[in-house]
Amino acid sequence: MNNIKPGREVMVVGVGLHPFGRFPDKDLGDLAIEAVLQALEDAKVKWKDVAIAYFGHVYYQGMSIGETTLSKLGLTGVPIVNVENACSSGSTAFWQAYWGITTGLYDMALAFGAEKVPRGPVTVTAEDAPERYIGGDHMMAGYALRGKRYMEETGAPVTALAKVSVKARQNAAMNPYAHRKDTYTVEEVLNSRMVADPLTLFQCCPTSEGGAAAVLCAREDLAKYGIDESRAVSIAAAVLTSGDYNGRGADHSAFSPYRTEPAALQAYEMSGLGPEDVDLVQVHDAATIGELQQIEALHLFPFGEAWQGTVEGRTALTGDIPVNTDGGLLAMGHPFGASGIRMIHETVTQLRGEAGPRQVANARVGVAQCSGAGDVTTVHILRKS
Amino acid sequence: MPGMPDSKRPVIPISIDPTRLKLTSDDASTGTLIGFRCKDCDTTVFGTAVFCQSCTSRNLEAVELGVKGILFSYTIVRIPPAGWPGDVPYVLGQVELPQGPQVLAEVIDCEYDDLEIGMDVEMTLQAVPAESGGPDKAVYKWRPS
Repeated sequence: MNNIKPGREVMVVGVGLHPFGRFPDKDLGDLAIEAVLQALEDAKVKWKDVAIAYFGHVYYQGMSIGETTLSKLGLTGVPIVNVENACSSGSTAFWQAYWGITTGLYDMALAFGAEKVPRGPVTVTAEDAPERYIGGDHMMAGYALRGKRYMEETGAPVTALAKVSVKARQNAAMNPYAHRKDTYTVEEVLNSRMVADPLTLFQCCPTSEGGAAAVLCAREDLAKYGIDESRAVSIAAAVLTSGDYNGRGADHSAFSPYRTEPAALQAYEMSGLGPEDVDLVQVHDAATIGELQQIEALHLFPFGEAWQGTVEGRTALTGDIPVNTDGGLLAMGHPFGASGIRMIHETVTQLRGEAGPRQVANARVGVAQCSGAGDVTTVHILRKS
Repeated sequence: MPGMPDSKRPVIPISIDPTRLKLTSDDASTGTLIGFRCKDCDTTVFGTAVFCQSCTSRNLEAVELGVKGILFSYTIVRIPPAGWPGDVPYVLGQVELPQGPQVLAEVIDCEYDDLEIGMDVEMTLQAVPAESGGPDKAVYKWRPS
């Protein structure tokens, strides 16, 4: 089943980001196009050089929104694919762009994503669906169940969960693109409005609007397009998985905490790298407990010990394995289609050494992990070339 | 009952989801959780299945999963999802059945301080008015046993 045969080396050559937040005067295309133009400018390539584009988004904004959006840059006739894979829509678009190039089909690809997420708790089922009556269709309640169980099994205090959020805001305070830039203390996190015990409001990511984009190119084609190789970052692994039966029924799978592990193991195998080689990581921290369990699933900490590492400051910018260096979902906010590519943006920025006050010293290998409803997981490993 | 207008006809609650909950009494006061067991690998799933989630075999048999379980985790939900027809806050329980599957449902008839991971619970039914009209829904809930 696991027949991964990468071909040509693929590089990220340009990244762009529309700030995350609330923008009532902009539509989805406005958010997307600003990020795309930045990414093209960053790569110093033209839209007509791009051979294929993938657009990640979730909420319906009309048919063929990717085509409509990119038509503003000129009708070049290239294939444009709209991608919906829940919270991993953007990272799935990036994964597809990688495979289109490594297999030799295309020289250059654009992966971009944008979203305008409605306010309020996120649900995944339709009106009058059984889940509405059962009360389980509630993303943060699902994370709360995981948090409660994790605390019971590991002895983690609720203050350790809150520390994840404090750290996220500290990083975001140095990031002009973040939705939430003001910092707070552990006490303020725990005293914010309770959503679902043990998760308070400041332990849950805001729903947001924003856009992100990345331009990818085969290494052997960089010169052909006049791309500066010194700023290009190599993609060492690109993995997308769906649910892997884990001994639980379907009603439970959405809340399975460690479903990232099979994707992580594939990514390490594909890259020839291991957890010990990773210098920084962006993970899916929709809630504080998510970050702890993702970095365990990535084997960066032993299972049940990420909370201790967090309390000791090991996941901070100054720690030995900095996590969510741009503020993560908790502080950047979460426009579903954009978030996965936002993680790529931050990883590339760090590996280029261009992260300013957030810069992680000597960063050479970065991991970006994104989860989505339906047991979607992506793991990408990027390496400074 | 001939001659009686529709609105006066007694209406019995219907199962919230007949693939997960089978009612076992004429007045919808009792029922059992149901699912499928794989005759090849012995994996049991809650709810509907055509192929085994674990080994992909189609050699499945319908099984009753009963009403007993153990509380695996829980949370007190204070900001409910859209369309939640019950009280707020409410307790959401993640319950492990003896056959292995886990079932999410509200936990009722329990003080917050008495909730404990590992406690024994049993399924009970509550009639909830339907969002779009029609007969009430018989919804499965957990309570301490």
